[in-house]
Amino acid sequence: MSRSMPRGTTRPLSRRTFLRGAGGAAIALPWLEAMRPRRAQAATSPVKRFIVMFSADGTIPSAWTPTPGASETDFTLSPILAPLEAHKADVVVVSGLEQKGGGGDGHQTGMGGMLTGQMLNSGPFAGVGAAPAGWPMGPSVDQRIAEGLAVPTQLRSLELGVQVGAADNWGRMIYRAANQPLPPDDDPAGVYARVFSDLHTDPAILARLRRRRQSILDGVGAQFTRTSARLGNADRQRLDAHLTAVREIETRLTTDLVVNNPSCHDPTITPVSAAANDAFPAVGALQMDLMVMALACDIARVASLQWSRSVSQTRFSWLNITEGHHDLSHRSDDDVAAVDKLTRINTWYAQQLAALVSRLKATPDGAGGTLFDNTLVLWCNELAKGNTHGRLGAPYVLAGSAGGALRTGRFLRYDGQGLPHNNMLVSILNAMGVPDRTFGKTEWCTGPLTGLL
Amino acid sequence: MLRRCSVLIVLPALLAMLVLASACGGDGTQSETFPLCAADPGPAPLRRITRFEYGRTISDLTGVPASVADQLPPDEETLGFDDIAGAYSVSSLHAARYLDVAELAATTLTANLTRLTAVAGCDPTAGDAACVASFIAGFGRRAWRRPLEPDELEAMQQVYTGTAEPGPADGVAGVVAALLQSPQFLYRPEPTTAATTEPLEPYALATRLSFLLTGAGPDDELLAAAGSGGLDTEDGLLAETDRLLVGPRAGELFMHVAMQWWELGALPALDKDRSLYRTWTDAMPAALAEETRLFLAEAWQGTPNLTTLLTAPVTFVDADLAAFYNLPAPGGAGFQRVTLDPTRAAGLLTQGSFLAEHAKADQTSPVLRGKFVRAKLFCRPPPPPPPDIVVMPPTVDPRLSTRQRFAQHTADQRCASCHIQMDPIGFAFEHYDAAGRWRDIDGNQPVDATGMLAGTDVDGPLDGVPSLAARLAESDQVATCTATQWFRYAFGRAEQSIGDLCAVDKLAAALTGRSGDGDFRKMVRATVRMSAFRNRGPETSP
Repeated sequence: MSRSMPRGTTRPLSRRTFLRGAGGAAIALPWLEAMRPRRAQAATSPVKRFIVMFSADGTIPSAWTPTPGASETDFTLSPILAPLEAHKADVVVVSGLEQKGGGGDGHQTGMGGMLTGQMLNSGPFAGVGAAPAGWPMGPSVDQRIAEGLAVPTQLRSLELGVQVGAADNWGRMIYRAANQPLPPDDDPAGVYARVFSDLHTDPAILARLRRRRQSILDGVGAQFTRTSARLGNADRQRLDAHLTAVREIETRLTTDLVVNNPSCHDPTITPVSAAANDAFPAVGALQMDLMVMALACDIARVASLQWSRSVSQTRFSWLNITEGHHDLSHRSDDDVAAVDKLTRINTWYAQQLAALVSRLKATPDGAGGTLFDNTLVLWCNELAKGNTHGRLGAPYVLAGSAGGALRTGRFLRYDGQGLPHNNMLVSILNAMGVPDRTFGKTEWCTGPLTGLL
Repeated sequence: MLRRCSVLIVLPALLAMLVLASACGGDGTQSETFPLCAADPGPAPLRRITRFEYGRTISDLTGVPASVADQLPPDEETLGFDDIAGAYSVSSLHAARYLDVAELAATTLTANLTRLTAVAGCDPTAGDAACVASFIAGFGRRAWRRPLEPDELEAMQQVYTGTAEPGPADGVAGVVAALLQSPQFLYRPEPTTAATTEPLEPYALATRLSFLLTGAGPDDELLAAAGSGGLDTEDGLLAETDRLLVGPRAGELFMHVAMQWWELGALPALDKDRSLYRTWTDAMPAALAEETRLFLAEAWQGTPNLTTLLTAPVTFVDADLAAFYNLPAPGGAGFQRVTLDPTRAAGLLTQGSFLAEHAKADQTSPVLRGKFVRAKLFCRPPPPPPPDIVVMPPTVDPRLSTRQRFAQHTADQRCASCHIQMDPIGFAFEHYDAAGRWRDIDGNQPVDATGMLAGTDVDGPLDGVPSLAARLAESDQVATCTATQWFRYAFGRAEQSIGDLCAVDKLAAALTGRSGDGDFRKMVRATVRMSAFRNRGPETSP
């Protein structure tokens, strides 16, 4: 911090001002303007960013699938995807892949395999009609990107949730490695305090806090090493995983926040009841704001937004739908009212993706252009269809070109080709600059997805 | 699947053979004589303290409210409980939150001179080196639940030195923050012996005892007992057990376990279709939870046995909740104890919390209610639906009763074989609507609450919840299942060996008693006396 934020540009601050900032939720302190560094680093290559957006319980394929035209660039968006009309030239709709996975019940399988392309280990979570399952056997694609790009940001990745809740394999999609779920943070106020603390803390106080925390975490780390050495194998692995997490916190303390982007500022958040069903849209909007700002400030380059969880029972009261989402998703295809409601739910999620894309487009990048130019967004779902738990033809929408790596404005149909979604994940890695040729379970993956890049 | 079968089917059969040989049937008053029951304490995987335990413990230690634990990511829940050792995971979000809360607790403690002085015998924030050392030793012993070893003391002294800026109070806070993020606090590491089963060393035993009985770390008295050899004898151990069992924390722990067992963890988020349940408000989940808490608290203080939990026709309501239930307003402000009609009411089974949680938003669910009884009271969950069936609740039709709408479950043979185990139990609850209120009419038909209990040790026809409750309270299977739930919570794992099932059998015996005088308190006490609780087996390498 001290290296990147010259003290000379900072006006003196009273302790009172600092405390008000640290304790409150809705703040944007005037001195933050002064904290902004005047110098910018010459970018050698564009900073790429990756975002996952998840929504649950499958879609209505007939209302999701675009109408194809003469070529892959000639298509008409479907009712569900209609909210993306303004961004049509910037998206790629992918149909017909099989979302691979294995172990657990339908939702567990889908959720676990969606971003990992892996099976679930056996484990403690007993689903419906299946042997109890644990966590996936490998990392999720976003984490491979973070690793492959060796992202130098304060946060290796940023996991945000909207009423995700319980910690189990129905509710986790991001995995640091096999058996290491990364929980999303459901509370915007908590996200704000944790992620943007460097922006709303007086630099002198921050410098002292960082030194102090390093001393404390040094001591803590040593205790993990010491205790771990005295335990049996399985227990030792657990403490070692915890020590890794402590080390990541330490890394943040030694990573200066280098702000090159004038659009980076301390975000303003409004208080919201993060767990109240009817606050679902408001919480999501806040989380999107915070995510975009974390990207703008280069606090993170890999992020995810998880709306609820597989088997989501969100009640879309703001759409005048009173039933729980999952209950609705199991209704028959002949149930016209249910199909209509599910179509409206998925259309609402498409609106959220459109809103996220709009926010990214509206945010200038420090290196020129907008954040969206160098970003790739993947919208995914644990299932293709709720009432069958089918995963063939799972609905994928990619938005953004990852700095021109992906040709957008296309509808790609892989129906009937029996291709695993692992291949798409490989192509996503490639688009992001990670040159892997396989991802997930190697027996499933046959290489990059032909025609995507 | 195979694993599940082996536990649920094969082992009970073996256990039954053992019981027939009158090997495990004794109450174990003196010692556990049957070798299979005594030889192997079973695995004891590393426990992490749960959010519940963390909040209570850190509150004890520093004076912050226990609700600071809400800032931590949620615990993994499996087998119905939050403390299953095989399930938890850790992430940098965990580490970040542990850091935040530890710093808050440290600041809170260092601002409280009374507490600091009580721990150190002097004011460590004055910077006197001996006093700081005394504080590190004293607070460290409470936080880590044992005296710190010399190298640990030195490590914390180094943290003090590194953080005592600008003043000694900052160093004291730094030490507190470090102690509260260390594995000796966040986990419950137990000294591992090489190759044999050995008694736990006293501080580890004290830690097990305290978390088991109070859901928090040991207090000064328990640590003193551990340090002075007070836990080395069974009498000494039981004396501490009895001291803790009469304290308020044991009752809170009982509530915490019972609420999880009755699947009420998601109650705060419960909602109903308000176009159908017009008196349901945002305040209902908290009110229903309070009703159940007060009921459980009274049970714990009075007669905490299965008969009370399953059949007592009493509850607690305030004026709003009474109006919701259509009961007369209670005399007095706030929640009051009320006696209910015993032909309608039966303990937890007719409380709104349980009934509304085990129902859909817009209709009752005989399936959910029947499934709860089978899975959580009999430990005989029905098999899952065949994979080719599209499961969907019937559409609400005001002209039909719930029973009529669920008729397909018996009409379709593929459904009937399993739903015969659930629906006829659930139908006995039909006098209670999806929000948990009594009703006489369902759809446009009079309620028919007749049903059937089949495939259990207390089979027979049912008519209303009290008829079901009376059978459940008499059932040995329900007692054994209740003991199984407790075993899972107590040991943080599933029962998986003959020795474990033997232990469950002992616990069930304590719960029911030879002449029906057993109860939950006696079951908890029996846990402490078990070999598996007091010993630690050799480490088994995976």
